[in-house]
Amino acid sequence: MRQPPKHRIAEEAIKAWRLTAFLFLFIPIAITIGAFILEHFVDFISIWIPIILIIVTIIDVIVTPFVIPKLRWRRWKYEILDQEIYIQHGILIVTQSVIPMARVQHVDTKQGLILSNYQLATLTITTAATTHEIPALREEEAANLRDLISELARVEQDDV
Amino acid sequence: MSNPKHLHPLSIIFTLFKAYKNAFYGLLPIIVLAIGDGFLGWTILGLGVLTIAFIIYALISWRRFSYEVDSEQLHIQKGILIKKNRYISKHRIQSIDLSQSIIHRPFGLTKVDIETAGSDKDVDANLSAVTMTEGRHIQDVLKGMKQQTAVFDESKELSNEPHRLVSNRELLIAGATSGSIGVILGLFGLLFSQLENLIPNQLFNATTTWLFSQALETIVFLVLLIVLSLWLLGILGVFIKYGQFKIIRYDKELFITRGLLEKKQMTIPLKRIQAVGIEESLTRQPFGLATVYVVIAGGEIGQTADTHTLLFPVLKKSKIQLFLNRILPEYADVTNDIHPVPKRSIPYYLLRSLILPTLIVVGSSLFFIPSVWIYMMTLILLAIILGLLNHRDAGYNLDQKFLTIRFRRFTKETVIIPSKRIQAIETKHHFLHHKQNLKTFKVSILSKMSGRHLWVKELDSDSNDEIYDWFQGDAQT
Repeated sequence: MRQPPKHRIAEEAIKAWRLTAFLFLFIPIAITIGAFILEHFVDFISIWIPIILIIVTIIDVIVTPFVIPKLRWRRWKYEILDQEIYIQHGILIVTQSVIPMARVQHVDTKQGLILSNYQLATLTITTAATTHEIPALREEEAANLRDLISELARVEQDDV
Repeated sequence: MSNPKHLHPLSIIFTLFKAYKNAFYGLLPIIVLAIGDGFLGWTILGLGVLTIAFIIYALISWRRFSYEVDSEQLHIQKGILIKKNRYISKHRIQSIDLSQSIIHRPFGLTKVDIETAGSDKDVDANLSAVTMTEGRHIQDVLKGMKQQTAVFDESKELSNEPHRLVSNRELLIAGATSGSIGVILGLFGLLFSQLENLIPNQLFNATTTWLFSQALETIVFLVLLIVLSLWLLGILGVFIKYGQFKIIRYDKELFITRGLLEKKQMTIPLKRIQAVGIEESLTRQPFGLATVYVVIAGGEIGQTADTHTLLFPVLKKSKIQLFLNRILPEYADVTNDIHPVPKRSIPYYLLRSLILPTLIVVGSSLFFIPSVWIYMMTLILLAIILGLLNHRDAGYNLDQKFLTIRFRRFTKETVIIPSKRIQAIETKHHFLHHKQNLKTFKVSILSKMSGRHLWVKELDSDSNDEIYDWFQGDAQT
């Protein structure tokens, strides 16, 4: 069996993802409340629709901020080797990707409001055919990795 | 030696056509609605105004379009309100192709497509109508010494370059097995469902009553007749599209001309080829036939939306090796030694091919006719067979330089990818897979639009590791 990559992403990732999940919870909660209001005023909507919605919402409130970020973080691993980038992610379906350094076209770091709040950044690696992301690295580490990859990728590339 | 030139005036007509074509989809619903509401007069008036506007637009854009070729670059000037200047350096040009539609041919004109690397359409240029001699001149000047022979000339002998022509018999075979009958049948059905609205009710009723009053034999005969004529139509289509197909191998590029009515030329620089694929569709596989295609990086989006380019309309599978030896020896190592997917992954393959048919069967017997499920069982049976075939045909092979993978959705495909063209590889597995030591393998290559991703589902984990090691070893050398 091939070993998974060695490095984990920053542990603050869990917090950042949790915060994101909380923000997104606004949508199902709003829909549920909306459904209750509609049920009150419109006759032909059965009481069961908002009840089902509220159950789903409660499950969502528990699962998305408290369970998923942790599982996701535990699975997320990466490793930058001289010749390749090796990434693993996915909760139920585990994806392992290998990107040869010579195929890397450019690397970016990016940072949204939530990530910058935790001093995190996302590293994006683009080849001619694919895009890969390593989310939520510590800022300085993301910058270092970006420079390292662009250094390593600066080999003679085949003309495509 | 050169000064700005205009295109042949015929290009005005092409611009006009294009303007109509672009406007068509936007206008059609309005026109249909307007006619339906009895605004026929207004519609005609509107169309008239539009036509005049288009003609003026076409005239002006012809006036403002000029091009200039010298030994270093192509310079194009265009734009009605905003003047655009484009310089394309000779060294950036990947290919220059001449093609002639039926409108071009009586006037001895040709369209010139100039392609650069990259898939951005804006970077490429095309001259919609110039004279044949001018087209050849542009090709000569911009391509320099590189490719003197690859001009469009029927009379020229092809004795010294490896080439292959299509015979009428091959075209007939290609047409007969193209399977386009399904597509045409679909279009026909769609057309008919629309016609229903247009045909006067009385006529429609009369026809249907007549049809249903006929004996079963007559209806069967009629259906057979329609199917047969559609099949013939499909053959005709292939003849028109691939008639006089010719592929020539030059030192650094492949050169294809084809088309009975519309002459098309295509140049494929070898270094842009990302992979070679062999495709055996369900209609062709039983006869031992296949087609060979190449996956090309960048360019040409406007012309064909296909992700791959045919190298030959149809070939006997046993002859493919020979064909590649001659035309594309770099990829000639077609292997038959494919490592299959393990037996324990059969359930996954069956499950995948059964989901949709099962839903159809359950759905239709629940909501429509309960007894229909007996007939629908054939569908299930077919799905099982397809699932088993999908499983049997999936596999991979590793070579010094090439990764060959084979898979089937409906069509069985064998794709030969040089290791240096692989953009990334990936494996996926969930916990059931993990227990059974299976992983789905994915390889990404570059194709016209963006990437093309190929899967071998539920491959043995050890095989995945083997490919990984091979890939890693290769990347390091």
